[in-house]
Amino acid sequence: MQNSVEVSAPTVEEAIQRGLELLATTPDQVEIEVLDSGSKGFLGFGSRQVRVRIKRLIASSEPLAASREAPGAPSPQPVAEVPLPDLAASPAEPLLAVRTRQVLQEILRLLHIENAQVEIRNVEEQQGHHIVQAEIHGQDLDILIGRRAETLQALQYLVSLIVGKEIEDWVHVVLDVEGYRQRREQQLRRLAARMAEQAIRTGRRQVLEPMPAAERRIIHLALRDHPDVTTQSIGEEPNRKVVIIPRR
Amino acid sequence: MKELLEYLARSLVTQPEQVRVEEQQRGQRVHLSLSVSKEDMGRIIGKNGRVVQAMRTLLRVAAEQEGKQVTFEIPEP
Repeated sequence: MQNSVEVSAPTVEEAIQRGLELLATTPDQVEIEVLDSGSKGFLGFGSRQVRVRIKRLIASSEPLAASREAPGAPSPQPVAEVPLPDLAASPAEPLLAVRTRQVLQEILRLLHIENAQVEIRNVEEQQGHHIVQAEIHGQDLDILIGRRAETLQALQYLVSLIVGKEIEDWVHVVLDVEGYRQRREQQLRRLAARMAEQAIRTGRRQVLEPMPAAERRIIHLALRDHPDVTTQSIGEEPNRKVVIIPRR
Repeated sequence: MKELLEYLARSLVTQPEQVRVEEQQRGQRVHLSLSVSKEDMGRIIGKNGRVVQAMRTLLRVAAEQEGKQVTFEIPEP
C-alpha cells in the first residue's frame, strides 16, 4: 500500500482532499506538508498550483490505538508554510464546511449567543468560486439579523473573508438565520407586486425604501417580465433604492 | 467585546501578532481602539470601509447583549 503522495491542485484544500482520496485515508492519520503554497499569478498568467505532500503516519496494518499510546513516540508535527485548517474535526465533512462552522461558532460565542446551532447546508463550487450555505438555528436570534438585515450581512461578509483567507481562495458564505432570507424574499415579492400596481394606478414612479443589493435584485427579478412597469436602482450605497416606473 | 474584535482582526490580517486592541470603559460606554501592522491596514478597512463597518455592526450586537454602548476606531499609524 502506498504510504505517501504528492498532489498539485489550485488550492491547499483541494490538494489535501485529493491526496486523502488517493491514500484512502482520513486527515487524522496523515502528515501534511505544503511543498509549494502556489501563486495566484496576475490575470491568470504565471499562476502556480499548490503542491502538497501527504504521508501516512502509521503503517495501515498496525492497530491505531497501539501506535497512539506508544511511549516516547515523537508526535508528528505537520510542516506547513501556510496555516492549515483544523482537519481533525470531522474527516467525512469537507474542510470548508468544518471551518465555516467553527468560525461561526466562535463568533456566536464571542457575541454571547448561546444555544444556537450552526448547520452547513451545502458546499459547492461555481465558476471557480466556493459557495457555502449555512444556517443558524435557535431561539430569539433577531439580534443576528438586525435592521435591514445589516447584522446578517456583516456576519456573512466577515465569515466569508475569514474562511477565504484561510484556504487562500474566494469563498462566499451565504448565511441564513431561522429561515429569515426565505421569508424576506416572499415579503419582497409581495411588496414588488403591490408597488407595481400602485405605479400603474397612479401613473407615478414608486420609490422603495433603501435596500441591500441582494434585496434589490429580488425586486428587479420579480418585475422583470411585468408588462406595465420597469425597475431601476438609484442613489448611492447604503441608500440605494429601487424605483418602479410605469411604462408609457 | 474586546475579545470579539481581537478574534476578527487576527483572523483577517497577515500579521496577527501585530494586532492590538485597547479598551477604555466609562460607565456603560466602551471605546475600542484597534491597531494592526501598516501592511494590514487595507485588509482591516476594506473597500469603501466595508470591513470596518461590518466589524462595527457585530461589535454593536455584542455591546447590546452586555447592555453597553460601543465606539470603535482605528487610529492612523
